[in-house]
Parts: sequence; C-alpha cells; structure tokens
Amino acid sequence: MNATPKPTNGSWSPSLVAFFCNWCTYTAADLAGVSRMKYAPNIRTIRLMCSGRVDPQFILDAFSKGADGVLIGGCHPNDCHYAEGNYKCLRRFRLIKRMVADLGIEEQRLRLEWISAAEGEKVKTVVNEMVDQLKALGPLGIPKQFAEWDAEMTRLEHAAQTSQSAESEVAHA
Amino acid sequence: MYIPKKHEPVRIGFYICHCGVNIASMVDVKEVAKYVGTLPNVVVSRDYKYMCSDPGQEMIQQDIIENRLNRVVVAACSPMLHEQTFRKATEKAGINPFFFQMVNIREHDAWVHTDRLEATRKAMALARAAIQRVPLHKPLEVKKVAVHPNVLIVGGGIAGIHAALVLANAGKRVYLVERDPTIGGHMAKFDKTFPTLDCAMCVLSPKMAAVGSHPNITLWTYSEVAKVDGYVGNYKVVVRRKPRYVLEDLCTGCQECVEACVYKEPKFRDEFNLGLGKRKPIRLPFPQAIPPVTLIDPETCIELKSGKCKKTCLEACGDRKAIDFKQQEELREILVGTIIVATGYQIFDAKRTPYYGYGVYPNVYNALEVERLINASGPTNGELVMRNGQVPKKVAVIHCVGSRDENTNRWCSRVCCLYSLKLAHLIHERTNAEIVNFYIDMRTPGKGMEEFYNRLSEEGMMLVRGKVADVYPDPTDGTTGRLIVQAEDTLMSRILKIPVDMVVLSVGLEPHPDSDKIRRLFNMSCSSEGWFLERHPKLAPVSTFTDGIFLAGCCQGPKDIPDSVAQAGAAAAECFSLIDKGHIEQEPNTAFVVEKECSGCKSCIPLCPYTAISLLEDKKKAYINEALCKGCGTCVASCPSGSIVQNLFEDAEVFSEIEGLLAPVPV
Amino acid sequence: MVAMLEPELCEKGATIETVLDTPEGKRILTCIQCGMCAGTCPYGEYMDYPPRRIINMLRRGFIEEVFKSDSMLRCVACYACMSKCPRGIRLSDVLLPIVKEQTLINQPEIPAELQKTLQNTLRYGNPMGESSRKRVNWATANGTKVPIMAEIKRPVDVLWFVECYTAYYQRGQDNSRAVAKLFNALGIDFAILGNEEKCAGDCGQLTWESGLFETLTDYNMEIFKKYKFNRIVTGDAHAFNAFRIRYPMYGFNYPVEHTTGLFARCLPQLKPKLTKKLNYTVTYHDACCLGRRAGLYDEPRDLLLAIPGIKLVEMTHNRVNSICCGGGGGGMWLDTFFKQKGMERLSERRVKEAIATGADVIAVSCPYEIYRFEDALKVIPHDKPIIVRDVVELLAEALGD
Ligand SMILES: Cc1cc2nc3c(=O)[nH]c(=O)nc-3n(C[C@H](O)[C@H](O)[C@H](O)COP(=O)(O)OP(=O)(O)OC[C@H]3O[C@@H](n4cnc5c(N)ncnc54)[C@H](O)[C@@H]3O)c2cc1C
Ligand code: SF4
Ligand code: SF4
Ligand code: SF4
Ligand code: SF4
Ligand code: FES
Repeated sequence: MNATPKPTNGSWSPSLVAFFCNWCTYTAADLAGVSRMKYAPNIRTIRLMCSGRVDPQFILDAFSKGADGVLIGGCHPNDCHYAEGNYKCLRRFRLIKRMVADLGIEEQRLRLEWISAAEGEKVKTVVNEMVDQLKALGPLGIPKQFAEWDAEMTRLEHAAQTSQSAESEVAHA
Repeated sequence: MYIPKKHEPVRIGFYICHCGVNIASMVDVKEVAKYVGTLPNVVVSRDYKYMCSDPGQEMIQQDIIENRLNRVVVAACSPMLHEQTFRKATEKAGINPFFFQMVNIREHDAWVHTDRLEATRKAMALARAAIQRVPLHKPLEVKKVAVHPNVLIVGGGIAGIHAALVLANAGKRVYLVERDPTIGGHMAKFDKTFPTLDCAMCVLSPKMAAVGSHPNITLWTYSEVAKVDGYVGNYKVVVRRKPRYVLEDLCTGCQECVEACVYKEPKFRDEFNLGLGKRKPIRLPFPQAIPPVTLIDPETCIELKSGKCKKTCLEACGDRKAIDFKQQEELREILVGTIIVATGYQIFDAKRTPYYGYGVYPNVYNALEVERLINASGPTNGELVMRNGQVPKKVAVIHCVGSRDENTNRWCSRVCCLYSLKLAHLIHERTNAEIVNFYIDMRTPGKGMEEFYNRLSEEGMMLVRGKVADVYPDPTDGTTGRLIVQAEDTLMSRILKIPVDMVVLSVGLEPHPDSDKIRRLFNMSCSSEGWFLERHPKLAPVSTFTDGIFLAGCCQGPKDIPDSVAQAGAAAAECFSLIDKGHIEQEPNTAFVVEKECSGCKSCIPLCPYTAISLLEDKKKAYINEALCKGCGTCVASCPSGSIVQNLFEDAEVFSEIEGLLAPVPV
Repeated sequence: MVAMLEPELCEKGATIETVLDTPEGKRILTCIQCGMCAGTCPYGEYMDYPPRRIINMLRRGFIEEVFKSDSMLRCVACYACMSKCPRGIRLSDVLLPIVKEQTLINQPEIPAELQKTLQNTLRYGNPMGESSRKRVNWATANGTKVPIMAEIKRPVDVLWFVECYTAYYQRGQDNSRAVAKLFNALGIDFAILGNEEKCAGDCGQLTWESGLFETLTDYNMEIFKKYKFNRIVTGDAHAFNAFRIRYPMYGFNYPVEHTTGLFARCLPQLKPKLTKKLNYTVTYHDACCLGRRAGLYDEPRDLLLAIPGIKLVEMTHNRVNSICCGGGGGGMWLDTFFKQKGMERLSERRVKEAIATGADVIAVSCPYEIYRFEDALKVIPHDKPIIVRDVVELLAEALGD
C-alpha cells in the first residue's frame, strides 16, 4: 500500500507524521485546538503514552510508507509523566538521527520537540515551521525509491540468474 | 461479554460526529463517512449531530446488536474528553470496551485548520488509521487499585483550611501541611473583606481554630513536602518539619517566654507585618496564630547563634519545658490516596515597576502593607499612620500595578479593583482622607461586586480613568515627603499631576517563585505564567493531569475568597468521590514479556523507571510485574528482540496506524 | 525591570496600511487606552494627539485628522511611552515615525530651523551645514593622530564611527579626543572614516524624513563595504540607535557597540589604568537611545564608579524613568518652535533635577546632551557650580598620563 505523495489541487504537499506523548504534547495539541490556533493541516498525529515508546522502527516505517517528515513530541526534561521516558527517547533519537542521515534523508525531516501541556502555541509554531521546511525540501519519496531499488534488485537478480544459466549452459556445452 | 472467536470476521461500526457545527463546518463529515464505508471490515458508517448524546450512544449500541458489530470507531473530539464515554457505551452493548478506538478530528483537525478540503482529507486519514488498527485490538480488563482514604492538603490559606474542614468533618483523616509557622494565608492579614466589608478574622479565626483542634486533622505548620512517590490512591509522601525550637505538644501559648526574652524591645523585622513592625527572636506570628505555639528564629536568637544567651525564655517557660534549643529537622512519611494543592499566590514586587517609587519613597506602600496598617491587630493597632508618623490627608490608590502589562505580568489579577475600592473606603473611614483611585478599567465581576462599587462611588471617592505613569517627590515640598502622581485622565484627555501624601500600589497576584519546583514535586503542569494547570478549563477546573491530585484557591489562578472556598469544596468533593468509591480503574496499557521470544539480554531492566522488570533467574527471561508497570512503553521500544508487548499500543497496532495515516484518500 | 525590546526589523517603507498587516500592527490594535503613554510623555500635556488618542483615532477611522495636526512635532522620540506601554506596543519604533512622516507632509509649513537642518544634512552630510572636507579636522589638529581607513589601507578591528557633533563642535571634539585616548590606552586597533563619513541619519529617521534617511544609509553602507573591519563602535548614541534598529533593513550586519558598552566590557583592563582621583559628585543622565532603547543602564554607571574618587548620586527620574534632554526626534532643531508653543525646554527640566542632587558634574553619554545641558545651565539659576561631561571624558581624565 505504498502511498505516492498526493497532489493537492494539482500541487504536492508534504505529509508529516507525528508521535505525541499523551501527557504533554498531545494535550498541548488539544489546547491549541481549544484555543482555535491555526496551523498547517499536513500533520497526522499518533498518540502514544510517552515519547519513550517511540520505537526507531516507527520512524523508519513512517518514512518508508511515504511520510516526508516525522515529528516526535514529548514532555520537557524532568517533566515526563513516567520520570525519564523522554531521556530514553532523546538517546534513541540521537542514534536514529545518524542512521537517517546515512540513508540520505535530510536532517530537517526528523525532529524532536519538548512541548508541555501548556504550550499550544509551540505546537502551532513547530508544525508550521516544519511544514515550511518540508515544502522547501520537496517530496522525500522513499516509497518510490524503494520501488526503484526493488526493481533494481529484481533486475540484478534476474541478470545474475540469466548469466548463471548462461554459464551453466556454457559449462554444459 | 463478547469474546472474539478465532477467525470470526471483524465487523467495524464507524461514527463521525458533527459536534453541532464545530466539526461539520470544517470537515465534510458525510464525505468522510462515505469513504470509511468503503474500507475493508467496515459494516456501518454513519454521521450524527452529537455522538456523545444519549441518542448517539444508543445508535452505536443498537448497531452493535443489530449488525453484530465487534469493533467501534468514533471520530469526534479528543479522547481526553469522551474516550471513556464511548468505551462504556460499547461495553453496555456487550463488547469489550477496548474494541473501541477514538479519532480526534475536533481539537486536532476542525478547530485548527482553515482549508475545508485539507481538513476533510486529514479526517479521512485519521479515520483510516483507526480502522486499520482496531481489528488488532485485544479484549482487555481494567485493573482495580484500592484508594487510601487519607488526604494530604498542601497550603493552609483559606482554600486549604476550608478543604481540610470539609473532609475532616466527614470523618476523613487529613494532613494539612503549611510552610509558614501559622495557617491563615493572606486572608489572615486583611482587616475587612470585599464585597461585604465584614471583618476577615471574625470569619477566619473560628475556622483556623477548628483546624487546630480537629481530631481528624494532623496540622503540620512550618513544614514542607519533600518528596512524593506513587500514584492515585497510593501516594507516599515525605514531609520535612523545620525546627521551631519550641515543642508543639508542650507549649501552652502563654507567651511568657516572649515577655522574658533578653531583648526587652522587639528589634527584628516582623515578617507577618511585612516589616512594618518589629518582633523578638521568640514570638507568636500574630495573636490568633494557629497553632498557638511560639517559635524561635535561629538567625536572630543569641543562644542559637552563639550558645551564649542567658536563656531567660527557657527560665520563664519553666516546668512546661516547651523550649528545646536542640530540636532538629524531622522527616515524616505518610501514606495518602489523594492530594489537594492549595499553595496560593504571592503579591507582585512593586520594585519591578520602578516608576512608582516603591522602596524609594517611604510614603509609597503596597496594598498588603496597607491591609496591615489598618488592621486592629497590625503594627499600628489599626491607626493609619505612615512611616513618617503622619496621618495622610490625601491618598492615591493605583490599580493594576504589575498586572495587565507585557513588561511584568500579562494577566488581570481579578481582585485588585475590588480591594482597591475596599482600601479606599477603609482609609477614608479611618482618616477622613481624600482618596483618588486611578484605574484602567474598573473590573467588578461577581455577585454583589458591582453593587459594592456603586455603594462606594456614592461615598464620593474620586475615580480617575488612567494608568499612572509616574510618581515623584513634589519639588515644592521640602520635608513631608509629599508625592506627585502623574497620569492622563483619559476621559478628559488631560494630564493630571496630583499632589498626595500617600500612594497605595494595588499590586497583582502572581505564582510563587518556586511554583515550578512544586509542580514537579506533584507531577502537575503549569500555564506559561506559572499557575498550576487544571485538567480542563470548564469541565475539570480543580483536577490536574495527574489523577488524584487536585487544586484549590489562587495557586490555579487569581481569584477572590468566595471562589477560593468554592474551589476548595469542589476539590474536597473530588477526593470524596475517589475515597468513597474505594478503588480506581487503571488503563490496562501495561507491558508484558513474550517469554519464548525474550533472549534474556537484560537491556530492558535498567530502563524501567518503576523497577517493574526483573530477570527470572531460573528461566533467564525478563518478567514484568504488572502491578508496578505504569505503561510508559519505554522498555517495549528498546527490546532488541521485540519481545515486549504493550497492551493498547502493540507494535502491530502502531504500524497499521502509520499505514492508515499515509494511505491515499479519494478527495 | 521593563523588558528590553528586541531591535527586530521594522518594515522599510511602511505605511499605516502595511503596518496594520504585520504582527507589530496588530499589536497596535490591542491598545487598552490606559493613557500611560500620554501620562509619561515629557510633552504629553502639549499634545492634542498623544499616542493613546492617535490609536483611537486610527481605530475609528479618523487618522487623517491626526496627520493634519502638528501634535507629533512635539515628540522627541524618547522611547518613554514605548518602554512603559503595558501592551508592549512599539510606539516610538513603529507607529510614531509613520505618523510623523505624514505630519510633516501635511504641515502647511515646517519649522524653519528643522527645515534648514534637514536640507543641510542632505546637502553636506551633517546637520550644521559644515563642509564635509572639514569633518576630519579634529583628528589631525592639535597633534592628535587618529588613523584613517583610506590612509592606512589595511583591515582594522574597530571601525570608529565618529558622527557629526563629535566631529565639528568644540565640546564634541573633546569627547572624540577622549575616546581616541582611551582606545590607545586599551591598545584597540581602530580607524575612522574621516571625510568619507556622513551623518548616520538617526535624526532624519526619527523625524521620519524617510527619503533623507535612505539617502544617508545608502551612502554609508557603500563606504562600509569599501573596508574590512570586525565591528563598528560609535560614541554617538543616535548613530548607535540607527545602526542597531534601522540599518539592518538595508543589509547592515556588523556587530555594533556604543563606547560606553565597549569600555564597560573592557573594564577589567581599563580599571587599573584609572589612577587619577577625581573628587566629583556625579549624577548620570540616561540617554534615551542607550537606556530605554538598549538597556544600557548599568554600563555607564559601572564606568563612573570605576573612577577613583567619584561619588554617584541619582536624579529623581533615572533609568527607565529618565527624562529626555529634548534633543531626539528632531527636537534638537525645534527649540524655537517649542518656545513659540509655550513649552518648557526639556533640557531645562532635566538640569533642574540634576542641580537638586547637589552634584558637581552631570555625566552624559550622548553628544547632544553636552550641548543641550550646557545651554540650559546658562539660564537655570544654580548656587553651586555644575559642569557637563561625557562619561568618556571623565574616564580619559582619570587615565592620568
Ligand atoms: C491586598 C489584597 C487584598 C485582598 N482582599 C480581598 C478581599 O477583601 N476579599 C476577597 O474575597 N479576596 C481578597 N483578596 C484575595 C484573597 O487574598 C485570595 O482570594 C485568597 O487569599 C486565596 O486564598 P488561598 O488559600 O488560595 O491562598 P493564600 O492565602 O495565598 O494561602 C496559601 C497558603 O499556602 C502556603 N504555602 C505556599 N506554598 C507552600 C508550600 N510549598 N508548602 C506548604 N504551604 C505553602 C502559604 O504559606 C499560605 O499560607 C485580596 C488579595 C490581596 C493581595
Ligand atoms: S514556649 Fe513556654 S513560655 Fe513560651 S509560649 Fe510556649 S509554653 Fe509559654
Ligand atoms: S512499560 Fe514502562 S513502566 Fe511498564 S515495565 Fe516497561 S518501562 Fe516499566
Ligand atoms: S500606553 Fe500603550 S496601551 Fe496604553 S494607551 Fe498608550 S499605546 Fe495604548
Ligand atoms: S517617544 Fe517620548 S516624546 Fe515621543 S510620544 Fe513617546 S513619550 Fe512622547
Ligand atoms: S510522558 Fe510525555 S515524554 Fe514521557
């Protein structure tokens, strides 16, 4: 079910997948709503209990399924509802950031923000900022890349097979 | 109860709420329902005006029965508001409540976007994520945890006092922890209170005394909460009790020691009177203090500083043996089920608005100082004499000092207009002085308040609409300390320069400087200003984001005494609700180890903040103690072999959510 | 303490209409009509339209009436209203300059003195109408030797922007010589632009002659581009203000410091050199552009207190509550106009406060002030002698030899 970036009124618009912790950032996003703040509609949020639950696999999976950016939101240092889930998240984030860079994914596409339950305004600015950056970067198109790599692999495999069979044919000859 | 049978087909019912026009005006709900109806496993897909209403819930229940639904998804407001409502509704119709999933298209969609097409697409994506996730849901059971019946109340102002009495009178055991040596808070400093102009201590002191003698209240003054562990129903709290050097059980409050102190005259800054009076090293904070127990200030007591005092106080105390110079700080541990935080506020420091000359010109006072000056038990016995010994003939009262100002505090402190009117009246009553009140907007909301304003206006006080810009010494005056108050009278468009003898600064209310520390201690949130954050501004005004911890009084935001008391009652009722039910239900979002996949690498063990994970030595497998696990999911994200599962947030559930979010939508 | 306002860019070429679309403009609409601005304005009682009324007229659609009044000519751009406005409205930075520009356009006749000054500045690059070829004279006369960019032909650390009063006027030149002495004492690598320098334009800007200001900005920016240096330092509070707040709109991005800020930063090196005892009681007058606009309240005071023998006393109005000398926003050239309107000279109001402190010296940090206060002292009676000195002059004097 690979999603190719969908056109919006003919033009491309980025997909931003967010993982927000239940206690701070998700609540902050609720607050932004209650306060009727306006921000870019590109964000799609998944609620987790804590930013510590964010498995690096989630991030890679989101990119591979067509996200142009991934945002993680957790409580400020010392404020995590579970004491230190956000620190664990930060440690993992640093690692995954390097990995993502190795994959050739620009660093602005992955972001971690501490947003407390009172910071509805920050949800707004962070999302807007990130969507602007993603717009400037253009589509990431990992699914398409994967498709190309897959094609490449099958072609190579095929080539290998045919050359093998050719070899064996030669051997038989 | 519905137990899914293996291979039984998933049958989802999807419901999208209009929320009146709240959602429907920005999201094309019909389109979304139509689209979701085409998705796999979806049996019914409907839109409805108010899903949370009874007919809305009944619709779901009827569908469950008639269409044999076994999964329900509702797209409406935030799960924080109505997840429980819909879980209960599905449960009533016979399916496990955790076969329900909620989609937030109001707070996270309709209310924050402006493009209807984009908002509709977003709603479709969010709905699809839930539709893809919900087939994977497992039936779960809520855990029940007992609630300890004792209550901790932090802060002994009027709010804390009232909450303590409500609970104690109903037979609950209450620990009241107060930082100062006496309870009473700000109200104990006032002379009279608006809007009734009744004597503050006349209503407060019986309540204070009741707290002091109540068999169900353990009162710990001069104490602070040092540590809080645990969770709703079971909080373990450590309280630090500072030494008073006078033993509470033995002191009778006779104050013979104070009389006998080697300092014949009071000599040191009296904190209770904001430095307007003097006290001795040993003293009772004020006559009606509760507990009526003296205390010794180690900074000024000769014995405590150098060990070289004649200790005449000790002598005077005699057989009562209440004075103990060796008293040490004590730590007490208590177990409570619920906590009320009622730590109040502090007044704005007028030195931060230097143009009003507070701290520079002796005749400039803040309002709380004036409360003490006109208080019969204050440093001047209720006579309004200024630092220069004179009685003012003309007084300016400046409203909004430190409030409604981007340079200081942005909020309106709510009580200042009213207490300014009160002080104007009281000063006039005591001194016959002419009073000028300078205000920006006269804010008198609340029952009886406008009438109060009306009544005082009739008394003929002068009211000038304009924020005072400058206070400076009258250049034509040499000695009396007369001041010029300069402001634009905005209703006349004229600059006034009014000479006065005394200036009263109506300082605003602000959070305590250590509010951030207190917030962390109790795992609460703060607004950006530092007031403790309520769970919902309208529907959960005294709850916090931490279950079992409630707020009362000004620590949540500026308010008057009636509102502080009302909140205290509400917070007490919230505690009752938990105590009387006897248990709380916990989200079953705990984690467990799938033993056959665990490699015994132990990497999860140090990660758990609650030490819920241990190694089963015999099997060399990790094991999670469900009673200790709080469900953060940190271990799950880190297990290299993927062998830990978190209920409600299983990997497969999250992956299918991601997939659903990113799938193309038809519009 | 009153919040320091960030010198973010104010829109170039802004008009009332364009400003109202910006966040700053929206801020204007939040005015609560408290009257703080009018009440604190040193000339508030002489204005038909102090900021509060301007905003209300604007909101009600009567702003044209304000433009026709000469009310805003009385604004000395002292930043008092802006720093005390409870809504944080950037009056003196954003709204008032626009109103002033329109006021000037709508006046049947501009006060002659001001008119002449603006013309001089355009023609000669300085408000006094002095020859631009004489700008460097102070630096070459009397044996002083000050390096000049065009001559030394190498990059320097500090480009010292001298400015007009400090280049042409006798008392201003004293100030400049003091700065040169201090630079040398501290071993600072510096040079000046000499005759290539033109007025930075703050005065023009504050009377909102935007055309004149742009001409000067464009000119000076071109000159800056010719040379290599690390930062710009100026002893003129108004040039400092222009560089911080307006020049960035024209691509200026050099670090900029006022001499008091620089010397305060160098105090550890400077202090041991301040060996000569000066037995003065000094009162310090906060320059609007340094104090209220840039938050430099402590720096000049720290410098004064570093001089052995100096005793510091404060005037009634100090720091954020200081009273303007009356020279800003074109006030320097409106004294006659003010007099016609029956308005007290602010410099006179200010020296009265200084005299009341019993000080021997009024210390200042803006070249306008020396001139204005010395003038005011001529007419305000005082029993005890009192003199006006720039902070840098006192520092140089304390250097010994
Ligand atoms: C000058 C003035 C006049 C006023 N006049 C009136 C009036 O006439 N009528 C009216 O209705 N309202 C009036 N008010 C408002 C009134 O003061 C408040 O509504 C009321 O006092 C709020 O009570 P509280 O218990 O929430 O807070 P507080 O009175 O502030 O009490 C809080 C208590 O908590 C304690 N505490 C703080 N931190 C801790 C901690 N960490 N641990 C333990 N204890 C702690 C404090 O020592 C204090 O005893 C006035 C306010 C002012 C400033
Ligand atoms: S310490 Fe002793 S003397 Fe002092 S008040 Fe208590 S009982 Fe009386
Ligand atoms: S989910 Fe969190 S609380 Fe539960 S065992 Fe894992 S780390 Fe501990
Ligand atoms: S000080 Fe600010 S808010 Fe008050 S009237 Fe002036 S512009 Fe408006
Ligand atoms: S900048 Fe100064 S002179 Fe101008 S209006 Fe504001 S307070 Fe008055
Ligand atoms: S709960 Fe928010 S980061 Fe842990």
